Amino acid sequence: MKIVAALIVILALVIGIVPQFTDCQSQGRAIALQNGKTVPMKCHWTAISEIAMAVPLVGLGAVTAVSKRKESRRIVAGFGSLLGVFVILLPNTLIGVCASSDMLCNSVMKPTLTLAGILVIGLSLVGLVISERKAEPTA
Amino acid sequence: MNLIRLATKNIAGSAFRSGVVFLCALVVAGLSLSTVLLIRGAQESLRLALERLGADVVVVPEGESSRVETALLMGKPTTAWMPQENVSKIANIPGVAVASPQLYLASLANASCCSASELFMVAFDPKTDFTIEPWLKRKLGHELRLGEAVGGHLVFVPEGEENIKLYGYFISLKGNLEPTGMGLDQTLFLTFDTAQDVARISRTRAERPLEIPANSISAVMVKMKPGADAHTAALDIIQKVPNVTPIESPELFQAYRKQITGLLRGMLAVLGITLVLSLVLISLIFSMAANERRREIGVLRALGATRVAILQSLLSEAAILALGGGAVGIVLGALTTFLFRDLIVRSLEMPFLFPSLPSLLTLVGAGLIVALAGVTLAALLPAFRISLQEPAIAMRE
Repeated sequence: MKIVAALIVILALVIGIVPQFTDCQSQGRAIALQNGKTVPMKCHWTAISEIAMAVPLVGLGAVTAVSKRKESRRIVAGFGSLLGVFVILLPNTLIGVCASSDMLCNSVMKPTLTLAGILVIGLSLVGLVISERKAEPTA
Repeated sequence: MNLIRLATKNIAGSAFRSGVVFLCALVVAGLSLSTVLLIRGAQESLRLALERLGADVVVVPEGESSRVETALLMGKPTTAWMPQENVSKIANIPGVAVASPQLYLASLANASCCSASELFMVAFDPKTDFTIEPWLKRKLGHELRLGEAVGGHLVFVPEGEENIKLYGYFISLKGNLEPTGMGLDQTLFLTFDTAQDVARISRTRAERPLEIPANSISAVMVKMKPGADAHTAALDIIQKVPNVTPIESPELFQAYRKQITGLLRGMLAVLGITLVLSLVLISLIFSMAANERRREIGVLRALGATRVAILQSLLSEAAILALGGGAVGIVLGALTTFLFRDLIVRSLEMPFLFPSLPSLLTLVGAGLIVALAGVTLAALLPAFRISLQEPAIAMRE
């Protein structure tokens, strides 16, 4: 269970950190308005939103490592899967990334987050299966 | 207790040892599948590209063959010019059925008059074209009108706009071709008339005008008559048309074929080393496990378990770990290759098309067999040695 927890924490760090260095804002790209001002592209908002997914995932990893009761592990696995789904949906559907496949947000950030999200869901389910098979400690 | 249950209990009982074997199977299966996917993807992409071009011979200006090939394969915009009169000279060569001229153009990079940066544009002659016209007739039911274009699979109208703006000219995108995994996916196809119209408008509306030299073309696509020899025609072209290079279809993209072959060798070498190291590691782990479990196996033998049953139990353990690790490795390998395909194409500078589902399933099966055979083979010798041991000696040790 500790390995699962450690992997979730590592994935949470990937989800939180990688987008900050692969969005168009970090590459010096922005949308230029007619009045001369620039606004960030939508991949930047995806990168920011992923921090909001990464923080609870780190906590979730810690809880996975210490929780002993089946009920709490079930909740943790459910919450983990839900976060994993949102990690995937943010760059793919909810906010999105830039359309051009030449851009780093499209070729690196989106696939990294999709893969990380799938792995988070998978690990949450593995954690659930392991906890269901283990006998609950007596008080 | 049956064999599988005994094997799973042994796996659960030695988490670290099982984890290492699982990881080895994961790496071997994942790496095998990714390598094969990349190579097959590149080959399939090249095949589709040749099919899409449909030409038996491509005639390009002398010294430009490499740039034209790069443009067609990787979508890297290029321009190359030769006299238009070459078309009629080539069309008159014996055996040539159709000679269709093309213009290779490039949009401006980071210019406000272009909504697509550095887009490769191919202008074709609708009267003679056999590359795009059949698709247009099949999908659109009509030829392209002035101001209309079709794009490769990855060409799109920018968000919030209705047309693609190139050189200050608004082009209506009428459809997208099927994916090929190569430069044609990022290419815009338009007619000669539209290209000339873009050039005319660009003189007043673009940051820099689109230059199309008078009476010039970039390449000629040649289709041979049935039974005619393309090689003979290519030799005739060299003799009768000055300053051009004819590239026969099998010779097309030769540089990339060599690159793919080189890549294949490199990947196979890495795969081979990984496979050998993994097998040695698995063999060592099983030898250690067999030694550690000498007493336990002695007890099992004393209780009536046959040598074959002991061998089967150990091999079942290896097979379960191989199948588990192999399955996870294959899923991860296929997912990673699929998700990062754009990055792979750009980094390795080679075309890539993800295989179809039936083809993928065949490769998945092959990957699982590799993992299963490898791990079982590595575990066979230690398992066989320990199964031969006499129970009394094993228990005493």
